[in-house]
This record gives sequence, C-alpha cells and structure tokens, in this order.
Amino acid sequence: MITAMKESRGDKVFLVSTYIYLCLALTVVVYPLIYILSASISDPQAVNSGAMWLFPKNVTLDGYKLVFENPKIWNGYLNTIIYTVIGTSLNLFVTLPAAYALSRSDFVGRQLFMGLILFTMFFSGGLVPSYLLIKNLGLINSMGALILPVAASVWNIVVARTFFQSTIPKELQEAAHMDGCTNLKLFIRIILPLSAPIVAVMALFYGVGHWNSYFPALIYLNDESKYPLQMVLRQILVLQEMSAETTGAAISGEVAIAMNSKAETASLIKYGVIVVSTLPIVAVYPFLQRYFVQGVMIGSVKG
Amino acid sequence: MHTRSKPWKLMLTGAISLTLLAGCGTSNNAETNGASSGDVVVSKEDFPIVSKPVTLSLMAPDVGIQNWEDMAVLQQMEKKTGISFKYLNVPKDSFDTKKNLVFASGEYPDVFYASGLTTAEQMNYGEQGILIPLEDLIEEYAPNFKALMEENPDVRKSITAPDGHIYSLPVVEYSQHWYRNPMWYNGDFLKALKIDKLPETTEELYTYLKRVKEEDPNGNGLADEIPISSVTVTAANLRDIRTWLLGAFGIYDDEIYIDDVDKVHYTAMEEGYKQYLIYMNRLWSEELLDHESFSQTAEQKKAKAQNNRVALFSDWHAYMTKGGEPSMEDPMFAPVKSDMVDAPAISKNRGITTGAFAITKSNKQPEASMRWVDYLYSYEGALFFNKGPEGTLWEYTDEAARIKQYLPVPGGVEMEDYRATLTPNYGIPAPTLSMDDINKGLKTDFDLWVEKETKEKLLDKGARIPFPVLFLTGEEQTEINSLNSDLSTYVKQMEAKFIIGAEPIANWAKYLETLKKMGGERVTEIYQNAYDRWESS
Amino acid sequence: MKGKRQLTRVSESHSSNNNSLGKRIVQNWELYLFMVPAMLYFFVFHYGPMYGIQIAFKNFIPSKGIAGSPWVGLEHFERFFNSYYFWDLLWNTFSISFYELAIGFPLPIILALAFNEVRNGPFKKTVQTVTYAPHFISVVVMAGMIITFLSPSSGMIVRVIEGLGLQPAAFLTDPAWFKTVYVFSGVWQSTGWGTIIYLAALSGVDPQLHEAAIVDGASRFKRVLHINLPTIIPTITIMLILNMGNILGVGFEKILLLQNSLNMEASDVISTYVYRAGLVNAQYSFSTAVGLFNSVVNVILLVTVNKIAKRTSENSLW
Repeated sequence: MITAMKESRGDKVFLVSTYIYLCLALTVVVYPLIYILSASISDPQAVNSGAMWLFPKNVTLDGYKLVFENPKIWNGYLNTIIYTVIGTSLNLFVTLPAAYALSRSDFVGRQLFMGLILFTMFFSGGLVPSYLLIKNLGLINSMGALILPVAASVWNIVVARTFFQSTIPKELQEAAHMDGCTNLKLFIRIILPLSAPIVAVMALFYGVGHWNSYFPALIYLNDESKYPLQMVLRQILVLQEMSAETTGAAISGEVAIAMNSKAETASLIKYGVIVVSTLPIVAVYPFLQRYFVQGVMIGSVKG
Repeated sequence: MHTRSKPWKLMLTGAISLTLLAGCGTSNNAETNGASSGDVVVSKEDFPIVSKPVTLSLMAPDVGIQNWEDMAVLQQMEKKTGISFKYLNVPKDSFDTKKNLVFASGEYPDVFYASGLTTAEQMNYGEQGILIPLEDLIEEYAPNFKALMEENPDVRKSITAPDGHIYSLPVVEYSQHWYRNPMWYNGDFLKALKIDKLPETTEELYTYLKRVKEEDPNGNGLADEIPISSVTVTAANLRDIRTWLLGAFGIYDDEIYIDDVDKVHYTAMEEGYKQYLIYMNRLWSEELLDHESFSQTAEQKKAKAQNNRVALFSDWHAYMTKGGEPSMEDPMFAPVKSDMVDAPAISKNRGITTGAFAITKSNKQPEASMRWVDYLYSYEGALFFNKGPEGTLWEYTDEAARIKQYLPVPGGVEMEDYRATLTPNYGIPAPTLSMDDINKGLKTDFDLWVEKETKEKLLDKGARIPFPVLFLTGEEQTEINSLNSDLSTYVKQMEAKFIIGAEPIANWAKYLETLKKMGGERVTEIYQNAYDRWESS
Repeated sequence: MKGKRQLTRVSESHSSNNNSLGKRIVQNWELYLFMVPAMLYFFVFHYGPMYGIQIAFKNFIPSKGIAGSPWVGLEHFERFFNSYYFWDLLWNTFSISFYELAIGFPLPIILALAFNEVRNGPFKKTVQTVTYAPHFISVVVMAGMIITFLSPSSGMIVRVIEGLGLQPAAFLTDPAWFKTVYVFSGVWQSTGWGTIIYLAALSGVDPQLHEAAIVDGASRFKRVLHINLPTIIPTITIMLILNMGNILGVGFEKILLLQNSLNMEASDVISTYVYRAGLVNAQYSFSTAVGLFNSVVNVILLVTVNKIAKRTSENSLW
C-alpha cells in the first residue's frame, strides 16, 4: 500500500487513537467472555460467592462431562449442522434473487412487492394458525417444519436489497443489457460474484438463526432423534434447573433432594452449554472476515 | 431371547408411531382398535384389564432422562394390563404451549397424563365434549379412586366442575404437608448465642435476629451475619419467606384465604398485612432482612449461607442451603405470633392437584383407561409407579407390614437418576396417591426427624389449608385474570416500597383506596362466591 | 463524486421514461421469476395464517378454532387501554427503545469504521471475533452475569467502583438505573455483531476514490468522513428505518430476568405485562390484541420515518 508511506502526523494520531479505541473495546468485551470460560470449569460455589472473578478456581470438568456424556448431544450437533446447511441454502436461494429484483429501479411493481413483504414484518397470524398450516402441509415432525417457515426474513431481504442498490453501479447493468445479457445471466455471472460480502452476511445471519433456533423444534418435532443441538442442551438445562421451581410451592421430597444434588452442576452447565453451542459458530467467523475488506470486489471488477 | 425381542418391539412401536404421525392420529386409532373394540372385554377387578391387547395414545410431559417405551414400570404395566401406549412426550418446559396446540389442532391423544390441565381447560374442553365426564367410569371401573373419594369428601368437591361433572383425576398427596418450603434456623448460630428456646413471638424473633446481627455468632470477628435472607425468582420477591411471616399476623396465604367463619380475605387489603409490612420495614431498616433480597439469585443466597453467614432462610431442607450433610442441628422455624392474634396462622398443603389425568372423546377404550389409571391410586400401584418394580431400587424385608429397604444402585449413578429411568413419575404431576406406607422402612433418621419437626411445629399447632382447590366459572376466571394483571403488579411494587421505606406506611389509606379502585374488593367477592359454591356442593 | 452519481441517476430516469411501461415489464420478465420463491413463501407462510389476527377481537378457545370462537369486539383492547399501568408501560417501552437506539445505533457504525482503518492481521481478526462472540450468549446467562457483576456485596463492577473511591449505586434495584443497565449490557452484547452489516457495506468503497483523495492531500480522518461514511449512508438509513419500525418490540426475556419489585416501575414494558397476563392462563386473544396495537404503532412510526428519509435523502424503503 502506498498510503502507509505517506502518513502525516495527523494521520498517525488518528490511527493510534483508532487502535486505542479498539483495544478498549477488546478489553471491555473480553472480560465477561473469560468469565464465562472460567465459570464453566470452576467450583460453582466460588462463582456464586464472587470468589471466582477472572481465572478458574477449584477447577472441575463436571459440567462438560455431564454435557458430553449425554448420548443425544452428538446427534444434536449433526442435526443442527444439517438443518443449518440446508436451511441457509434455501434462505439464500429465496432471498438473493428477490432482493436483487427489488433493488432494480426499472422493475415495475417493486413498490407493491415491497409493501406486501413489509406488511408481514408487522402482522402475523400467530402461533395457532401457523401450527395448523404446518400440520396440514404434513410437515409435523419433519425437517421441513424447521426450514420452510423461516425460508426468508423481511429484514434480511431489505438489507440485501440495500446492498445491491448502493454498491452495484447502474452502469454495469446497462452495459450488460447493451451486450444482450439477460437478467438471469447478469445476476448469476456478474452480480453474485460481485456481491460476495452480502452473500457472506446473509449466510451468516441466516446460518446463525438456524443454529440458535429451538422454538420450531420444540413445537413441531416429536422425535428426539431429530432434535437440534439447542433442544438437547435445553433439555439438559431444564433437567438441571428444576430446582428453581421448588422454591415456593412444595413438591415431592424425592425430587427436591434430587434437584438439590443437581443444583451444583446446574450453574456449571449453564456456562458450559454456552461454550459448547457457541464455539463452532464463533470459529466460523474469521473465515468470513476476508469478505469484509474494503474494495475487495469493486477493485477486482474494475481491474 | 429377551434381548432379541427388544429391537422387535422398538421397531413395532416405531412403525406405529410413523403411521400415527403420517396420518391422522384419531382415525388411525379407530382402525387399530376398530376390529377389537367390539369384543374387548374390560375386567372390573382382575388383570389383565382387557381381554385382547389394546393400544392407546398418551400425551405427557417428560424430563428427557429416559424414553418412556424403555421404562421398566411402563413395560411391566403393559404386560400386566394388556394396554399398551403410544407415548407422545413433550419436554416439560414447553408442555403447556404444545398442549394448547394439540387442543387447537383437533387431534387429541386418547389420554392426558400428568398434564396439569387447568380448571379453565377442564371446563372449556369438558363442556365441548373433548374431555369426557369421568364420574360414571369412576363408579364402575375405579374401585381404588372411589374409595379414596369416599374417605376424603374434599377430593370429590375439588375435582368437580361447576357443571357437576368430573373431567380429570387429581394428584393426591396427603403425606406431604408443607404449603411452602419451611424456614430453617442456622443451628450453629443458635448454639453460639446459647438459645435453648426458639422465638415464639414476633418480638422474640426480632430480638434474636438483632443479636445475630450484633453478637457475631459465626465468630469470625466480622459483622457479616445476615439474619434473614430471601431470593428473587423471576419477577417474584420474598415469596419464600412471606407466607411464614404473614402467619404471625393471622394471614394464611399471600393472595387469598378463608378465615374460621368461612369468610374470604384478600390479603393485600388486610389489617394484618399492614402490620406485616410495618414489621418487615423494621427488619429492613435495621438490616435484619438481607438488603439483597430483592435482587439476588438462589445461588447467591446459598453462597452466603455456605460461608455460614445466614441465620434464617427457606429451603426444602436446611442443608440444601447451608451445604454439607443432612443435619438435625438446624431446627425448623416454628411460626411466631404477633400481639394481634392468639396463635399464628399456619398453612398446610392442599394435597390435591387437579388436571393430572383426563380421557378424550377420541378414546375408544375409556373403561380400560380408567381401570388402568385407577391402579395408580392403590397402595401397590402407587408404590410401583413411585419406586419402580421390586428388585430394582428396593426390596421387601417384610411384605405383610410393607417394610422395605433400598438396594445398591447399579452403575454408580445417583439413586434419583436411576429411579427416573424406571418410572415416568419423576418431576411431573402424575395421577397418583402418595401415602406414608410407600416409604415404610426407607426413611432415614433425618427423614423421621423432619417429620417430627413438621408435626410438632406445624400440624399440632393448627395448620390448615388456606383455601381449597376449587373451580371458578368461565366468566369468573376471565374477570380474575383481568383484575389480577394490574392488582398483583401494584401489590408487589407497593409491598417492596413499604418494606424498604420508599413509601411511608402513613400512605396506607391511599394504597387501600387505589386497590379498591382497581377492583380488590371484587376479587374477594368472586372468590367468596366460588367458595360458597364449593362449600355447599 | 456525489454529483456524478446524481447525474447518472437523472439520465437513467430520463431514459427509462422513454420506455413504455409494457416494454419494461416484458424486458425484465426474469425479475418476476426472481420474486417467485419469496412471494410463494410469504403468501403460504405469512398471508396464509394471517386470518389468525381476528382472535384479537374474539375470545379464542383452542378447541373451538379461530373461526368458531365467539366475537367480543374491542374488549381486549379496552382491557389493555384501561389498565392502570397502560401509560407507564407505553412510556417505559418507548424510553427503553429510544435510549437503546441512541446509544446502540451509532456504536456499531463507529466500530465498523475503525475496523476498516486497521490493517488486516491477527489483531484485527481477534478484535473482530471477540466483539462478535457476545451475540451468542443466551439471555439467561447474560442476565445471570449482570446480576453477578452488579451484586452490591460481591459484584465485580461494584467493587471496581468502590475501588475508585466512589459510592456505587443500587444498580439492580434502583428504578433510575434499570434502563441504563439494560441498554448498556445490550450494547455490550450486540455492538460487534452489529458491525457486520456495515463492514459488508464498506467493502463497496472504491479504492480509486481513496487514491485520488490521497493525491489531493486529504487526511485519513477526512477520507473516512467523506468517502467511507457516505458509502454506507444508504445502509445506515435503512437500518434506522427498520429499527424505528420495531420501537414497541422490546422483548420480555431479558427484562423479566432483571426485573424485581423495586425496579418494576421503570422496567415493566408491554411485553412483560402481556407475558405475566399469559402466565395465569394462556390468553391468546389478549396478547394478540396487544400485539396488534404494537404493530399499528410500529407501522405508523416506520411510515413516518420512511417519509422523512425519502424527503431528506435518496434512501428509503419504498
């Protein structure tokens, strides 16, 4: 980069303050993250009394042991990966073409389409009719119930549309049309390759949505073998945390005792579960970052 | 042989479940039972219950430890009765949502098990014929439950809907007397302060707590003792200690209770409640009530208690908060009284939870279903569903006297975890009867001590049920829901403000005025009507 | 640069005016094809169940079905509007939302611009990944940590404040502090995640513009201000409009977990109120009615802001 050589004093000050700002952001955010990691392997009593405040204290792996001893967990991981991959592919297939079409100012009727889509962001029929719909489509207890009802999100369509609108130069489209290029070819051959960043963003947004989702599974799945990871983890948590409900109304003695013995591991597991479910998806992010570099595509087109 | 038959069975249930899920649950059942339903004979007292195998579907919450098909209790029950179930399990925490969807979908399971059907649900779905009336079936096919109702007339009163029908069977729990988890004294502090007689009045309690605060009973040289500590569970404060302290001012429950002359009281408007607030404010301002009570979690309270800092707290057993082994050195809190009453009001567990078991209109074998569930109300069946088959968790040492002992748990797991793999009745409100005989011989010295404390400090001191389990009519329920959403919010906020002194108690009249405007008196009226109906039924 | 853009826009609209409507439709027939999957989805999964809205005006009984449940008119709306707490709920919901918007909206933009200035390498990667991670912490754990860190007796933050010789506030119970705790913990959790969208938009900056500006002697700061920021203005505008359309949508989970009797006057919002009402008995109709009210208010806000955006800039939702 030539720019690096030509830095003035003002630029240096600016750059240094940028670094300081980022370092500050890093420290503020990293502390609770370390806390979670430490809490997931520390004696719960030390965590609750505040004795553990940064590094692990009285290390124990019981939490992770309990999570990974559960035979359903690996199946859950597998299911989640399947749902995420297939679901996200469908999302991209639905979202990107629509967003591109809506971004075109010469697309007659886009106001109408936009209005129809935006309307659903605010008004929905609610849980019961949605459940009946899924049932009537015969999707209960199938992967379809987890993927089809969330095939697109208004928010993401709007975001992608904005990206297309503001970064794809109009001249490009006009030139392509002059060359006799159809819209389909234009979209697949030129627009998509140019839009790697938004494709990455959409994949990330949708993918994370699938990864974290549990409610549709909870409502639509009957078979435990089909449960995604989040459902399995929820089951583990619920089992451990039943003790919380016993404060208040009395229940049976055996259960109270059992829950008390579990309460210890409950708080361990609470933190452990976060780590287990989050690590894979956090690990994906660095690979996507290369799409978020200034000029990564425009430069490549013009060059 | 045995191992070989198992995969077969699994495949079979798998196939059934597939067809069930693919098609429509109800019509499918009609098909499988259709041929046999005509000539299935349901025995009134013998086992198997049915002359030919019958398959029904059962919906229930579960805790996810073991598949119900694989539970020893349910497998043996199937052999014994000839009735097999297709289990539709839903994780416990989402059961209510799923239950509503099932009712909305028009495809019902044959029976609801441990389903916690609310009184409103029982009435609504009963009136529409989705849940069938059970009283005639009970008469004919439920000898155990019938006997239970004859022995305890309150059971019949409490499970009968305003239209005169019974739509669900209850959990009956007459061996568990606590209305709320008890409060416990930290025995170490009592010893250090040489207390040999527990406080009996609010003043004595105050004096004791004051001494805890000032005399360093944990002996660490710091004034770090916390006389009373409470916790915040989601949007609820002081719930674990409130009822016990309200008793000192003649109040049985924190919302609604009945007095000795059958008059309903709405707690938040009572004079006794005002006195309670004044007392609590005193404890607060002298830092005898933990100032973190409004924000801390149960775990944080536990951490304090485990550092030996808390003198009085609520939990199932003292050791669960204090840590360590079960100990008889931490006595149960004996309810104290204030000057305004002769004796403290002490509440007792209602012992009845309705909505545990119901039969729907799609069930082709209601008689057999009733016989099946009736077994759970016998000693034998209740024991079977509570502790699993003999020879797993326990065995008889003297069968005639019903005395048992525990067997070593295989595989080094905890006893309760093992139990949860044997029987479905783990952490869910299952239809059954709990009685003392079930645990005969299995009780530890500690259990017996707790029973003695309960008897001496609560039951012998006049503990009673604060308000019976009863039905509101549909309109009453709607009105109560609507009134309560504002009332309970206001009461909760004002309680906290009065206690910490943010609102001076001098404003009590204004507070009462507001409650009246919000319909506090109407709440009393509605419950009074419902109670009178219950009483005369 | 702006001038050039506007120029193309003018010429473009000019040229498109020359084309007849029919010709444009025919020419772009494939674009309608592009809309098919999305419209199919919205019609089946959103417009299909839309009839469920009517339960806001009915007394919904699951087994009677949506069509079969009895009409009650505006009863549920009246119940909500007549609630003693209606205005408090509305005020709390609005103020939390706007507070959140005021603090939480600009921060991701600034952070994204800062990321963009830093050379690619392990440092940038680390900061980016670390700030992104909190997004995945569940609400329960998040609330648990807030309570732990702010505990008057053992909280980390409280101890730091004491260490500085200051008197810590009752963060968890003082109503005056609730909104701040809520908003700043939210900012902590979502700022890094929020940068992603702007980073993607920043990738569209034309490097030639920077090179030209460098030749002209523009400082780094000036280039950020006059090249990078304008590039992402459309995205910023759209995000702002979308956020305005969700003003009454403050969720209940986190608030509920942080709520107690003492801070309730500041912490009770529409969604927590509805949640509590539903706890006693699933009150589908009531919550649908309140949801409908929220939607209508949100739509009004969105349309208004969109109109303003349309007038003041070239960016709007439609």
